[in-house]
Amino acid sequence: MIRKVLMLLVICSLYTVSALAAEGTNNPNLYQPGKLTVATGEPVYPPWMMDDNPAGGAGFENGLIYALAQKLGFKKEDVVWVRQTFDQGIAPGKKPYDFNIQQYSVTEARRKFVGFSMVYYKPEKAVVALPKNDISKAKTFKDLRKVRWGATIGTADLDYIENIIGKKDVAVYNDQVSTFQALLSNQIDATVISLPTALFVTAVQVPEATIAAVLPHDPNDLGHGLVFEKGNPLIKWIDKGLKAIIADGVVADLTSKYLIGNESIPEISR
Amino acid sequence: MIFKRSVPSRKAGRKIKFRDRYLPAIISITSVLAFFWLIRSVVVRAEQWPRIKAQFFDLDAIIIVFPRVLHGFGINMSVWSISLVVIAIWALLLAIFRSLQGPWFAPLRVFSIVYIDLLRGLPALLLVLLFGFGIPALQIPGLPNNSLFWGAVAMVASYSAYAAEVYRSGIEAVHDGQRAAAKALGLSQTQTLRFAILPQAIRNVVPSLLNLTVALQKDVALLSVLGIRDAVREAQIYTARTFNYSSLIAAALLFLVATIPLARFTDYVTKKDQERRLQKTT
Repeated sequence: MIRKVLMLLVICSLYTVSALAAEGTNNPNLYQPGKLTVATGEPVYPPWMMDDNPAGGAGFENGLIYALAQKLGFKKEDVVWVRQTFDQGIAPGKKPYDFNIQQYSVTEARRKFVGFSMVYYKPEKAVVALPKNDISKAKTFKDLRKVRWGATIGTADLDYIENIIGKKDVAVYNDQVSTFQALLSNQIDATVISLPTALFVTAVQVPEATIAAVLPHDPNDLGHGLVFEKGNPLIKWIDKGLKAIIADGVVADLTSKYLIGNESIPEISR
Repeated sequence: MIFKRSVPSRKAGRKIKFRDRYLPAIISITSVLAFFWLIRSVVVRAEQWPRIKAQFFDLDAIIIVFPRVLHGFGINMSVWSISLVVIAIWALLLAIFRSLQGPWFAPLRVFSIVYIDLLRGLPALLLVLLFGFGIPALQIPGLPNNSLFWGAVAMVASYSAYAAEVYRSGIEAVHDGQRAAAKALGLSQTQTLRFAILPQAIRNVVPSLLNLTVALQKDVALLSVLGIRDAVREAQIYTARTFNYSSLIAAALLFLVATIPLARFTDYVTKKDQERRLQKTT
């Protein structure tokens, strides 16, 4: 009996030790203790990260990571970036990093296979089209359903077109560049993309295109979160840091610096 | 066919021993079973197996995604069958251009050589991207603007370069004497090709062409980069949406259902061809 109690105590204490060990910049659950190893896409798209250079610190997502790292007690040079494709981020197996940030949308279905941090940002969605296209004059969802749509694979944008707008035969491209190429070469009439990306793309990368409208929110899209390997013990600690920088207003500052435009765009209602 | 064994010649009055009759089959069966059991036990014992099983072999997910993947597979099959016909004809023309003799046909020969060198030298994926995004962007009036069309054109362009070389090898394998004999009979160059060379050449290369056919069946999936929702793209969409890879298994099963019979048919044709060459009469 005493033996059993002792065993139980040992197990409990082990748990608390490991729980404690999941915090602090030197904790053994980090991929490299002492460093925060963060994965992101290749390339990374502005305004989420500028100039395809995460270590530069300019941009919403890498700005957020550096603020988070500082909050958790890391120095700027302790943040290590690795580049991973979308698929590498979700495939099973040990990951060569602590977590992945590339505008992953948190959904319940995905939670079965990966761990998510708390949601740190909820983007609005916008319709992007060429100005000569009729869709620029669309007023209702019914107008939107009349045209050819395209979207990028893995994004919540595709779900938006299929579930909220209610258009089924959406062309689905490998990446954002291909989607816009299809728009320019008249393969599709319009695409849905998060408003921050839309603002940047139409201002800098594809000036031929314009934002036709801002769309109402999709209740199924919980917003962006960091992606961890399922069951990663770091999540609690990282969430604490995220909560702190959101409470400090750091995330709000980054949002207004990188993700908000100052032009007024008409909103389409259902 | 799997249990190949040398049948001992049966001499009159001598009974076939158990050893000769059944042992080879028993050894084949046990070794195959042992081999797969070994693989299975290694895989199942892997620490990550339960997770892989849930993420790759989730039957519910396969059932949910199956109708959409099947619909996509219909696109694969229609692109495949249409391009197959076009490739068979266009590649034969290219091969004929290249085999024509005489100075008047020099432009055709040069065209064929340059075409084959260029298009066989480029990855099919690159051609699909160039044709599918590049040509519609030119917005030339009168040309179709459909990415499915241009993707199929890219596949035809690439595969006909390979197929032309296969045809050519067949044409060159026909003995020179045949050409000389046809000429001696007073046949023109066209008649020689039509009645003497091509029938023999094509019969020689049917197995190789069937091989290309199997390859094309799978490579049609490259068109997914143009936004076309073929079987692979439908599966990828489900994977990206739910992080569940089981949809890829659904697509893989469909491809196997289509390619394995074709592969067996290729084997059969190859075997027939070999027997013909060796003048067997069974």
